[in-house]
Amino acid sequence: MPKILVLDVPEFRPLVEEARARTGYTVTGPRLGYWRIEAPGVLEFRRKALGFKPAVWHGALTGGLVGRIERFDNEEMRIVDGSAP
Amino acid sequence: MPQPIPIAGVHHTARPTWKLAETVRFYRDLLGLPLVHAISARGWGTEDHADFLHFFFDAGAGATIAFFYYIGTEPPEFTLARDDYRFRATHTAWRVETREQLLECRAKVEAAGIPLKHQIRHEVIESIYFDDPNGYLVEVTWQVRPFTSLDVDDARRTIEAGIALEAAARTGGARFGAIEQVWQAKARVLEQDMERA
Repeated sequence: MPKILVLDVPEFRPLVEEARARTGYTVTGPRLGYWRIEAPGVLEFRRKALGFKPAVWHGALTGGLVGRIERFDNEEMRIVDGSAP
Repeated sequence: MPQPIPIAGVHHTARPTWKLAETVRFYRDLLGLPLVHAISARGWGTEDHADFLHFFFDAGAGATIAFFYYIGTEPPEFTLARDDYRFRATHTAWRVETREQLLECRAKVEAAGIPLKHQIRHEVIESIYFDDPNGYLVEVTWQVRPFTSLDVDDARRTIEAGIALEAAARTGGARFGAIEQVWQAKARVLEQDMERA
């Protein structure tokens, strides 16, 4: 199951709020200062829905990633199972 | 660990300039940093060193920003400003205390006829960017919130993941070529730590 870890600070909080509002996404924590967001199969986020400016969006996975980035452009990210090639 | 060097803060940073009047106008008159010290000297030392002016502007909080003006010389190629993010990586970011002050600064820069390059909201700061007369990038920034122990711990985790990936690549392991590797390596350690906690 793909998973991201999100540092418990205001600038990344929209990821947590967005995931909480979604069916099928599980949010746990914070533990050691990080929220854990996971979902079966795929994790998807859209920049504008999160209200992220580009600089923050492009660092949005800085907390940690369990999975592989299938798509991460200026507007959308899609994370699936697997490790980096 | 040995005792760290007892650093008390920044005294000065320094870069070369071949535009004396413009540099003084920019730093003293536009940014409002008082000129507080100037050295004028003959070239000395072992190198074929030009005569020079070395002058310092008060940057606040005990720090200064300094320039060298090498009399009668032309700028060597390696000092010329270029439109490249690696050149822009060397820059000074000046602090303002509020967003209103940041916007006020933006208005003054634009009123002075200096092109504003960007206004960017980062993770914990919001900044404007423009060039000084030498083509050196100048940033003015407002920090939205103070750093906390979470930021400190997170910074350590991020950089330790990067160091491990760099070390692996140097010793024949996987090429360190993408930030995804840092995020994955960081998560591996973090999940182990969470299990232990």
